[in-house]
Amino acid sequence: MDKTKIICRCEEISYEEIEEVVGHGAKTFDDIKRLTRCGMGPCQAKTCTNLVAMVIHEQTGTPLSEIPLPRIRMPLSPIKLETLATNSTTFSTVKSVLDELELEEGRVK
Amino acid sequence: MDTDVLIIGAGPAGIVAAIETASKGLNVTIIDESNLLGGQLRQQTQMLQSLPSPYQSMRGFELAQDLTNQLTQFPIRYLLEHRIIGIYANGSLGITDELNVFPIMAKKIIVATGATENAISFPKWTLPGIMTIGAAQTLVNRDFVIPGKSAVIVGSTDFAMDIIHQLIDVGINIKGIIEQQPTIQAREMKKVNELYDIGLPFYVNASIKEARGIGEVKEVDIQLQDRVFTEYVDLVLVDGGRSPILDLFYQLNCSFGFGDKLGGWVPSYNQSFQTSVNDVFIAGNATGISVHGALLITGKIAATSVCEELEVLSREEAEKQSAELWKELESREYTDVFQERIKHIESYKSPMLKNQFIS
Ligand SMILES: Cc1cc2nc3c(=O)[nH]c(=O)nc-3n(C[C@H](O)[C@H](O)[C@H](O)COP(=O)(O)OP(=O)(O)OC[C@H]3O[C@@H](n4cnc5c(N)ncnc54)[C@H](O)[C@@H]3O)c2cc1C
Ligand code: FES
Repeated sequence: MDKTKIICRCEEISYEEIEEVVGHGAKTFDDIKRLTRCGMGPCQAKTCTNLVAMVIHEQTGTPLSEIPLPRIRMPLSPIKLETLATNSTTFSTVKSVLDELELEEGRVK
Repeated sequence: MDTDVLIIGAGPAGIVAAIETASKGLNVTIIDESNLLGGQLRQQTQMLQSLPSPYQSMRGFELAQDLTNQLTQFPIRYLLEHRIIGIYANGSLGITDELNVFPIMAKKIIVATGATENAISFPKWTLPGIMTIGAAQTLVNRDFVIPGKSAVIVGSTDFAMDIIHQLIDVGINIKGIIEQQPTIQAREMKKVNELYDIGLPFYVNASIKEARGIGEVKEVDIQLQDRVFTEYVDLVLVDGGRSPILDLFYQLNCSFGFGDKLGGWVPSYNQSFQTSVNDVFIAGNATGISVHGALLITGKIAATSVCEELEVLSREEAEKQSAELWKELESREYTDVFQERIKHIESYKSPMLKNQFIS
């Protein structure tokens, strides 16, 4: 197999780049994502989730049914910040990564 | 915005569920990000066999039209070109029409967001001209664009066979069908034999070694067991199978199980097509990849369960209706798929992935 082939087309991450981080102990899609940007492109991993699972499977022998899904966050598909911000005073903000931050006087604690 | 039943996805399963729930007098909203009702049926020109009664066999886009006509006879609110982007802390869903984001609160939700095609990777698979076979079907049948002159096909499922016939009809020269497995995967041999008869070469135990071209695909090397040869094509169409679209279920904090024959990870559900989240139901290819007849029935079962929960259908009536629908589902679906569905339902209480959504 030619390991220069692309696995994540949005971020142009190749098979060998993923192989390398799996060799360093990455076990899940999210581990690989944090180390390589794989899955962080415009499609938000919709194209590469299964391809990456196959690489993990081939490299570690882990059955596909034991390779968890990548964390899927809001927004489910790209949206303009302008649209997201509109008239949202009457309801709480959409659950997002920002909810994980605790604020103190407008600053991150 | 408030509604009794919110249906996400206006493909065949979602529309059937909308009709069923609205016909019992519920207030129903159906939303879809596309500009037309019908979901992925709109580009399907093959004849659909084994549809449940009262449907006769018809083409995919004809079924889409038929369902659309039925839907518009009910006071169903349908929001096209609207998509769900996430969920709010109070359980309402965030919808955008691309200008605003607004919340919608539903008593019950039926998610029927369908399936997505899987990619296959090989060197230079990202060149223009290389796409999924369903993308080519959409270009030809819905957008009336012929994506290329000559193609090799990767994959030999029934899905691929149907589309190959459609591509030949518009004059695309199919240079070969490449199957990685030792045998052709299609179950309906009639369509395969028709392709044999017109002289299409099938290669088993085969794969694409490499594609080449500058700015677009020009040639591919095909790896057989004993040799490699080159075909000159401007299209490579891959069928990597299909998998349920999971993102919304994930946000709704649904649990998941795994079923190879269902398309990989699938949201957990019980016999009522209720997910691990009480108010969230599931229908269509999101429940596992199956044939059209089965998809319609899953929409009906989910709708029946919702009608029972919202007390517009008595328990006895709902149970009777469901039992009949389950019988019909068993008779329409391929046995191995049906068995895997049952196995998936049996694992409802012990899902492989749960509590994934933490924020
Ligand atoms: C390109 C393509 C071609 C296909 N061709 C065939 C074929 O030839 N034969 C075959 O048997 N099967 C085919 N399929 C499989 C297809 O999944 C089924 O035929 C059938 O359409 C599934 O019905 P469904 O109701 O489950 O979902 P779909 O028909 O896929 O409908 C789901 C709907 O949900 C909407 N949606 C998804 N997410 C959101 C969101 N977040 N917000 C709002 N709306 C959303 C989508 O726009 C879509 O209209 C194809 C699939 C694809 C992707
Ligand atoms: S292919 Fe990996 S993020 Fe799009």
